[in-house]
Amino acid sequence: MVIIEAKGLTKEFKIFRRREGVVGAFRDLFTRQYQVLKAVDNIDFVVRQGELVGYIGANGAGKSTTIKMMTGILVPTSGHLQVNGFCPHRNREKYTRGIGVVFGQRSQLWWDLAVIESFRLLQRIYRVSEVDFQQRLHRFEDILDIGDYLHLPVRKLSLGQRMRCELAAALLHNPTLLFLDEPTIGLDVLAKANIRDFLKEVNQTLETTIILTTHDLGDIEALCSRVAIIDQGKMLYDGSLDQLRAHWGEDNLEEVVKDIYQGQQPPGVKGWGE
Amino acid sequence: MGWVWERTKSIAWYTEIFFHYGSQYLKSKMTYRADFIINVFSDFFLQSMNLIFILVLFDHIPVLKGWSREEMMFIYGFFLIPFGFYSGFFNHLFDVPEKYVIQGELDRVLVRPMNSLFQVIVETMRLELVFGVFVGLAVMVYAAEKMNLTWSWWDIPLGMMLATGATFIYGGVYTLLASLGFWFEGRMGLMPLVYNISNYGRYPADIYKGVVRFILTWILPFAFTGFYPATVLMKREEYYYFGLLTPVVGLVFWAFSYFVWTQGIKRYRGTGS
Amino acid sequence: MLAYRATYLTGIFNYTIQIGAYFFLWQAVYENQGRLGGMAQEEMLTYVIIAWVARSFYFNTLDRTLSDEIREGQIATELIRPYSYQWAKMARSLGEGLFRLLFFTIPGAVFIYFLHPFGGPAGWTVGVLFAISLMGSFLINSQINLLVGYLAFFTLSTSGILRAKRVVVDLLSGLLMPISFYPLWAREIIEYLPFQAITYLPNMIYLGKLEGLKAIKALALQGFWFVVLLMMSYFIWRLAVRKLTIQGG
Repeated sequence: MVIIEAKGLTKEFKIFRRREGVVGAFRDLFTRQYQVLKAVDNIDFVVRQGELVGYIGANGAGKSTTIKMMTGILVPTSGHLQVNGFCPHRNREKYTRGIGVVFGQRSQLWWDLAVIESFRLLQRIYRVSEVDFQQRLHRFEDILDIGDYLHLPVRKLSLGQRMRCELAAALLHNPTLLFLDEPTIGLDVLAKANIRDFLKEVNQTLETTIILTTHDLGDIEALCSRVAIIDQGKMLYDGSLDQLRAHWGEDNLEEVVKDIYQGQQPPGVKGWGE
Repeated sequence: MGWVWERTKSIAWYTEIFFHYGSQYLKSKMTYRADFIINVFSDFFLQSMNLIFILVLFDHIPVLKGWSREEMMFIYGFFLIPFGFYSGFFNHLFDVPEKYVIQGELDRVLVRPMNSLFQVIVETMRLELVFGVFVGLAVMVYAAEKMNLTWSWWDIPLGMMLATGATFIYGGVYTLLASLGFWFEGRMGLMPLVYNISNYGRYPADIYKGVVRFILTWILPFAFTGFYPATVLMKREEYYYFGLLTPVVGLVFWAFSYFVWTQGIKRYRGTGS
Repeated sequence: MLAYRATYLTGIFNYTIQIGAYFFLWQAVYENQGRLGGMAQEEMLTYVIIAWVARSFYFNTLDRTLSDEIREGQIATELIRPYSYQWAKMARSLGEGLFRLLFFTIPGAVFIYFLHPFGGPAGWTVGVLFAISLMGSFLINSQINLLVGYLAFFTLSTSGILRAKRVVVDLLSGLLMPISFYPLWAREIIEYLPFQAITYLPNMIYLGKLEGLKAIKALALQGFWFVVLLMMSYFIWRLAVRKLTIQGG
């Protein structure tokens, strides 16, 4: 079953270009010069249920913009986008009920509240029945090992502990689709491993579709059979990890990605990045 | 009929969420108990400053533009009701430009299945400051007793309607200001400006002339947050016309501000900042 | 830059609005009245204007800056710098104050003069004495702010305290109304407090109600309070630093 379908998805930003000097600033008051930046440029992208897709790209490549369009935050400039049977930016409140989102750099838990209280709030917001809530909570306590600090305020948790709670929070309403924007950022080795194990488990047992952006290729190697690479708004590669390695004749993923970010072509492969 | 049922369910749901947020807020505040108590107390102190001002003033004069000490207190008491709700729920909308728009906290708000303005309000509220409402009620009752105002049962629903309208004006003005943050980066210092204008609503509007009075009535209608509605409850018939307009002005202003907010959200979703 | 200019303009406008609130109120108060609290109507309107215009000079946010720095632990890095923390803060806010005086207070006063011409000081000597007393307002207000800011060393809840302080200063300094309006018992207490030296005394000098020796006495009183408050804040500072270095913040 197709969960995400994007065709010719494009997002342009108008950037205000300031003129130089005092005269320039004065002219800016009356006529502004804009530069159009294509943050996401004509992307085609299909994700099927149960897939776990790694979405990578250099800083400013257009990853976050894509995720923001798919989560309904941003409205695409043009192109077709359907997720979970919805057009994400229309009907936002209905659509977001069926997805889970974790921003690695932004907490969705309440800073001064005990973790469990945040969960209780989310339970009400997403209208989760008490039976389901308890069942899921027990499950998360088991596999995420968060039982010990459910009653501590979020501000007292370590980053790794907090991220586990963030994941649990994003999954309390059992979304069919989970977006993770740099979920392992700033975590130590052990905490990363923990999160990866959990995501694998969720993906396999609940059949939750997961889209993951990251700068840590370890995440990709551990989790994703499929990887999509975006650069300057264009989709450079979308396929299996093995094939990517095969293209480049290089086993070390980091080397491959470094080459790609530097704009190199894979040896002997035609039509790359077209 | 289906539509009405859906609406009712939705309102019930938002009410439930609101109270849940409220109780969580109080719980989290209880971890800083001293802070909480001092906040309530200092707020009460701030309200009494104007009361002291009125009391001292009337040691020297019998009436102010035909308004007695008790009437001045009554107006101020009424003013404290919308002001209390404003302090509790709308004052911290000034976080919107910086925290929600520039730092992008709105992203988190937009991936939740709830109205965005509702979320921002419950996330930034300072529930303890609603305490000022009770101070206002007490001042009103005291002043009414002193001037032998006769009450009837319908003064209560009427008063509630007027206070609601006045609160909507406050909420509308601050929602509008917060929404401007979608278009203009930085604060431009508008919030304190409007706050100081709002203080004009504490006194009888007939002490202001010309442009000032026009602005307070029709542009930033703070005369409707204290003076006009209070005169209705004081049975000063010469202002009934304005006073009874309070709920209408409140609704119109709120609707307009909410419209600007939705346009702001639209802009944010177009530009991502 | 444009955003700053907008803030600047709204800032001046803001003071005008605050003055306006009391201006209209006092105008209404004086309707059918002669002198109140020893002041005629025009004197009172001048009092209100001067009080707020002066405030735009001596006003600072030392209390907030300080308590924020203390709470967020920035104070530790400040302490290892080779200068006196409190004097540095005072000097900084004096610099800001002078900047505001030139670009804010004086243009603001001119702007308000166009809206409502108010009386100037009665002669050069009065003007000079007033200018000196304005310095006194700044010093005393800053010391009070430092003291209140230091409270953050001892309690976490500062925002409420800052608000309460504002009420006290606004009421007892004479910003809201001249001290001469208060009932006798209150005046007797206020006379023994430093707050009246911030607004009431300088304004009385400006209006020519404190002349010659009386004006000098008022300036001496300001000096006295400055020294007392300085000693207090120095003492609390030593106490706090000791606490800080022993407990490690």
